[in-house]
Amino acid sequence: MSVFSELRRLAEVPRNERLAAAARAGRPVIGHFCSYVPEELLHAAGAVPYRMRAVGSCGTALGDTYFSSANCSFVRRVMDQGLRGELDFLDGIVFMNGCDHNRRLYDNWRHAAPDTGFSYLLFVPHAGSPACLAQLRLELVKLAGFLGERLGVEVTDDRLRASIELYDRRRRLLRELAELRRAPAPPVTGTEFLALMLAVTAVPPEDAVDLIERALGEARAGRAPVGTPRLRIFVTGSCLEELSHLELVESHGALVVADAICLGARTFDRDVGADGDPLDALARRYLGRVSCPRMMDDVKGRMAYTLEAVRAYAADAVILEKLEFCSMMSGENYIATHELAKAGIPALALTRELYGGEVGQLKTRLQAFYEKLGNRS
Amino acid sequence: MIFAGIDVGSLTAKAVLLRDGRVIAWHVEPVQATPAQSAGRVLEAALAKARVRRADLARVCATGYGRHELPFADLERSEISCHGLGTFTSNPAVRSVIDIGGQDCKVVVLDAAGLVDDFAMNDKCAAGTGRTLELLARTLGLPLGELGPRALRSRRALPVSNKCSIFMELDVMQWMHQGRRVEDIARGITASVARRVAALAGKVTLRPGVCISGGVSKNAAVVRELEAALGVRFVPLSHDPQVMGALGAACFARLEHGRARQEDRRVQEAGDPSEPMAAGPADAAPACPGCTGGSP
Repeated sequence: MSVFSELRRLAEVPRNERLAAAARAGRPVIGHFCSYVPEELLHAAGAVPYRMRAVGSCGTALGDTYFSSANCSFVRRVMDQGLRGELDFLDGIVFMNGCDHNRRLYDNWRHAAPDTGFSYLLFVPHAGSPACLAQLRLELVKLAGFLGERLGVEVTDDRLRASIELYDRRRRLLRELAELRRAPAPPVTGTEFLALMLAVTAVPPEDAVDLIERALGEARAGRAPVGTPRLRIFVTGSCLEELSHLELVESHGALVVADAICLGARTFDRDVGADGDPLDALARRYLGRVSCPRMMDDVKGRMAYTLEAVRAYAADAVILEKLEFCSMMSGENYIATHELAKAGIPALALTRELYGGEVGQLKTRLQAFYEKLGNRS
Repeated sequence: MIFAGIDVGSLTAKAVLLRDGRVIAWHVEPVQATPAQSAGRVLEAALAKARVRRADLARVCATGYGRHELPFADLERSEISCHGLGTFTSNPAVRSVIDIGGQDCKVVVLDAAGLVDDFAMNDKCAAGTGRTLELLARTLGLPLGELGPRALRSRRALPVSNKCSIFMELDVMQWMHQGRRVEDIARGITASVARRVAALAGKVTLRPGVCISGGVSKNAAVVRELEAALGVRFVPLSHDPQVMGALGAACFARLEHGRARQEDRRVQEAGDPSEPMAAGPADAAPACPGCTGGSP
């Protein structure tokens, strides 16, 4: 069986047998929100980091008792899952001040107290200045102390270096696979790559490395699932985990060849490195890699990343993805749309609810956009 | 050679038949339970009007929300592209299209060939669409076709929200409970819809030669309010503005047929250059030349 089938299976369920095996072996499973939470720190404390997601969610009925309908559908769905007891395999969750909705999720979680172990809020600064780096390091020290006490494993520098080495390896392998998508006939579709990202952030990192190596092996063996695409697409945005949505984007001969999303480049861009103080290195990497719109001082950096990736991956157009009521992406999309127009790069901004349906309207927008691009070629 | 375009929307299904670039028949009727049923009925009705058979059709193109569900369609195009090419075919001066349908609203900017250059489309909210007008006409106790004429008789529009159709209905009910004139409420509704559509139009740069299509274009009050809000006079269309999507689809069927014939010829010439395939009338022109009438 192709490893891509296994990855897809792992991506489509909230929990899996590899996670269960790790838990049986005595390793706590710790959920975390946002790509700004250093998984290395959780791993060094003996835990299996689990990237939070709404996969398998059945709606927002219970989540809506804590949130209004003007809150992001991701937090409403995760809250709903928590209240239904579907996340009781977790031994704790590290929340983060990624955005206001996520921040309030922490408050509501503490109030509702679902059976998911501890709740910890990691504060990550919104800029990358030296003062912010120092502040993040301080916050990481606090998190390491909390985890050490809570899980009974002291987060030593040696343990942290070993975890950094493992996660850097995972990042390098992911970048290698992403690089192969530059080919005229890419060896993985955007949907397959997203499935891989969902899978490798839901299993122990040791397993993740093995899965990515197998995927790389298949990719290098001349795999080309859709041949040469008619249109090459770069996707940027924030929370995007729905495989069905990316399948929609990859309709009518289009293929996603690169991205700047949380479950994508933001996870594997830039290594931490083994040199110097590991907490310093973690702070530098997490505030220095390709940023998300929550970072207030790096609009130019994000645009430069997008323009360079569009060039490097020979993308024909950019799709800007936003969840309804995401204020950060609203501002970002406005800026990005204008900057891309100045650069002569066609762009389409899509707004959706997570697993929210509306397939008809999205299809019409996408198809019209691709037809427009076809008219120009 | 006859080409068919079928537009299965949220409220109505439309079919247009083209022969030699001229419209020979069209038909509109409310949608049935499935897109395939709706499309089958309007196509058969149009074929009957033109007195031709389904076997006479060279190609069928589908558009609208049901476009993916039609087993007999040879190709499909988005309604955005189809409304663009349909209105351009109906009047070659058209460069911008305001299309207000049953559940969505689109603003399309065209190039000199009638193809899409830019577009904006309303989000999931139905405020500013035909569905809203239908709902609010019912609330006012008016047939849908009466809403526009009554609004045109108003001297002063009463304010009606344009946030969402439910809030609009609450405003309408409030004015009704206060015993205000139906004409003034109706004008408040049409003005509200026009403001909403004008805001959407602000997301793109309209080019001169603006027209309006879709079922709501039949509401004279919305048209007047929208012209005022945009500061334009809509250019006329030679056919029923409700069938522009189906007309555009028929044009795409014709273009695709020409493209396929050219491709066949190219392949044949490459394989056996001594026997080139005869060119048919549909591949003589690279673009749909438009039509000048032929309404049934």
